[in-house]
Amino acid sequence: MPEKLILEMKNIHKAFPGVEVFKNFKFDLKEGEIHCIVGENGAGKSTLIKMFSGAHTPDKGEIYLDGELVKIANPRTAMAMGIQTIYQEHTLFPYLSVVENLFAGNEMVNGIILNRNEMIQKTNEVLEYLHSQIDPLDIVGQLGSGEQKTVEIARGLVQDSRVIILDEPTSSFSQTEIDHLLTVIKKLAANGISIIYISHHLEEVFKIAERVTVIRDGISISTYGSQEITEQKLINDMVGRDVSLFYKRPAVPIGKVLFEVKDLSGNGVEHASFSVHAGELVGIAGMVGSGRTELAEILFGAKPAESGEIHIGQKKVDIRSPFSAISNRMCYITEDRQDTGLFLQHTLDKNIPIATYSKTSTPMALPSEDIKLSEKYIKTLKIKTPSVLQQAMFLSGGNQQKVVLAKWFATNADIFIFDEPTRGIDVGSKEEIYKIIVELLQNQKAVVMISSDMPELIAMSDKVMVMRGGRMVAEIKKDEISEENILKHSIGGSI
Amino acid sequence: MRFSNTWRKITKNENMSVFLVLVVIIVAIILAEFFAVRNLDITKVAFIKPMNVSNVLLQVSVTGILALSMTFIMISGGIDLSIGQMMCFVGTGMAFMIKTVRIGGFPTALLALVVTVGFQLIMGLIISRTKLESFIVSLGFLSIYRGFTYLITNGREITTEGKFTFLGRTYFDLTENFRLAMPVVIFVALTVLVWFLLRYTKFGRRVYAVGGNENAAYLAGINVKNFRLLLYGINGVFIAIATMIQLSRLGTGNPLMGEGKEIEVIAAVVVGGTILAGGKGNVWGTFIGVLLLGIISNGLNILGVNPHWQYVMRGVLIVFAVSLTYVSSMRASSIDKQSKEVKQIATSEALEE
Repeated sequence: MPEKLILEMKNIHKAFPGVEVFKNFKFDLKEGEIHCIVGENGAGKSTLIKMFSGAHTPDKGEIYLDGELVKIANPRTAMAMGIQTIYQEHTLFPYLSVVENLFAGNEMVNGIILNRNEMIQKTNEVLEYLHSQIDPLDIVGQLGSGEQKTVEIARGLVQDSRVIILDEPTSSFSQTEIDHLLTVIKKLAANGISIIYISHHLEEVFKIAERVTVIRDGISISTYGSQEITEQKLINDMVGRDVSLFYKRPAVPIGKVLFEVKDLSGNGVEHASFSVHAGELVGIAGMVGSGRTELAEILFGAKPAESGEIHIGQKKVDIRSPFSAISNRMCYITEDRQDTGLFLQHTLDKNIPIATYSKTSTPMALPSEDIKLSEKYIKTLKIKTPSVLQQAMFLSGGNQQKVVLAKWFATNADIFIFDEPTRGIDVGSKEEIYKIIVELLQNQKAVVMISSDMPELIAMSDKVMVMRGGRMVAEIKKDEISEENILKHSIGGSI
Repeated sequence: MRFSNTWRKITKNENMSVFLVLVVIIVAIILAEFFAVRNLDITKVAFIKPMNVSNVLLQVSVTGILALSMTFIMISGGIDLSIGQMMCFVGTGMAFMIKTVRIGGFPTALLALVVTVGFQLIMGLIISRTKLESFIVSLGFLSIYRGFTYLITNGREITTEGKFTFLGRTYFDLTENFRLAMPVVIFVALTVLVWFLLRYTKFGRRVYAVGGNENAAYLAGINVKNFRLLLYGINGVFIAIATMIQLSRLGTGNPLMGEGKEIEVIAAVVVGGTILAGGKGNVWGTFIGVLLLGIISNGLNILGVNPHWQYVMRGVLIVFAVSLTYVSSMRASSIDKQSKEVKQIATSEALEE
């Protein structure tokens, strides 16, 4: 391998309002190298890619391309420099053919007429080089997700890319698709194209990496050559937060089993089993895409289960819709409060009582009662709002989240499913939400909490279930919960 | 003190701006007629004569009844373009039953109700069970009804031979000059009913919830699909009532009896403050919107404006009314900027993911 550096980052700083994401970050990439980046959810991997692709610009620091100081101001300059980014989600035009996708915005022309034959020929060459069976005239939306990834790589090649960045390319891939992709990547590298490969799956990293950089909280912790990589080293470097900063929650006596899931499958989840006692908080850990939200959706009846049983108390229940979940005293605080939690343009007295309507049989909904109920929860949850007649969209993130909580608390539920309860809200509101959750536990409710926030999981959980590829791969007991232990199961080299 | 509170309540009412437009237009019409047509003789101003007022009310009631159920549908985020043609189809169909089949008024009315509700349920089923836009599905049904109308009538009118007059031609003489027609009574009664449903029942709250955020509504235990289906069923009932009134008033099943009604109705609902995206709107706004459109037509007629120009002026006034509602809603959300900042922080934090 030639040792020429193609890309280099030095002293990069990047902050978003309220949080500093990158501090003194450094990174380099050699020509023809496969350089993998690993880190927890939220370690800063995606932001890093966005700085290379021009979607974000660093606040401070230098980026060198071929030893020259450059500024990547926007995605267009990045592409002109030969940096091609392939994002986690597809960025193709689903109704256009492969050729049209490959040359979109970059068409070959004779005068003003498209030179279709030449484009098709070029596409054929590239696809052949990638050992792909795709026809240049196939409509992209009808291809499988593995093939679509190949088309995205082909687009990079057509545009003479020198650096290709892949962000979690293999989520939703089958094993053969993964193997094919890894072979293609190795071939590209052998021909001098540099690859930055980001993945949660350490086995893929072991297979292709020439170097691995571990990042945590926007700092590059360590870089290893392929000889030195071990799973233990990587995980040790990924963890290591200061435990004393974690929220300290009071212990709560744990009662009888309140909620039990037996061998539940469907919606991408396979054979999930776990139980939650009254006063117990069960954390669900796992990387993004491991099936956690999908699990919550079938628990709550929002998506159908294919097999398995759910028991509440001693009774087997049949949950076919959110309505029946609510009738069975369950509630589900979703991860995206704006998309699935709130009625943003509606006032608080219209937001808070809406789920209670599914519990009572009267056809009436008196505005005065709704206001009374809403005011009660605004008071108990300390929602900061000028009045109950304020529209939900004008509240801050933390207060919006509390409105969602109020909506569910008003239904008098016993079983609470939280999906990322504190995502995107400030530290102060976070603590308030933790206090509210602890209060639920003190009232002997059962809580299931999905979270990507390690400190949160560790501080709050009585037990952690780890998910991976739609399965529950581990159950970690209270005294064994640690960042290291959770990570080992959620990304470890072998299942 | 009490006065200022009441005043604030009035000015903050969401229908205030459209109500103001209504007042402005009424005053403008009176002044125009007074100065330009009647040579400064106030006693001759026809627009404010009780007879004219009762006529305007009668003229708007059919559109008004259709606008009520359209308000439900549009708050829930849907639309129905087929109502005008459905009225043509069902109205001529009823005339056919009365004249040719001779089954009598009441059975005919019952049959009409079954047909409107039935077809609306079929349409509702398609809209709620597939991801197709209600706009395009109802556009398809519009054409289907058009076809049915011509199949029934062959393009000719079918008279009801003086039967079936109760709904359209019953009057209550309140004073010598002012009489309330049955359709007006029905329109006002239904408006109050819809207001009550929207404000005081779970059903009403759910209409807003489904239109405001379908996903959140589903997770709050609302069976969104069946709920939408129900709304189209209700729409069928309202269309049946409106059609019967129209037929009863005209005394003949005219193949054009509902032509263009959908545009009039949607315009009235939107002028009344209901937004096309759903989640927002109210029935008194619709009521004012219906009156506003009716008054504009009536006023332009009295002023003797060339009918071709009436179309133009009506269009301009509708756009003006909607713009004014928009401007006032912008002003109401002066905290918009602040909320944007909050959202920005939230999204940038989410980006770290």
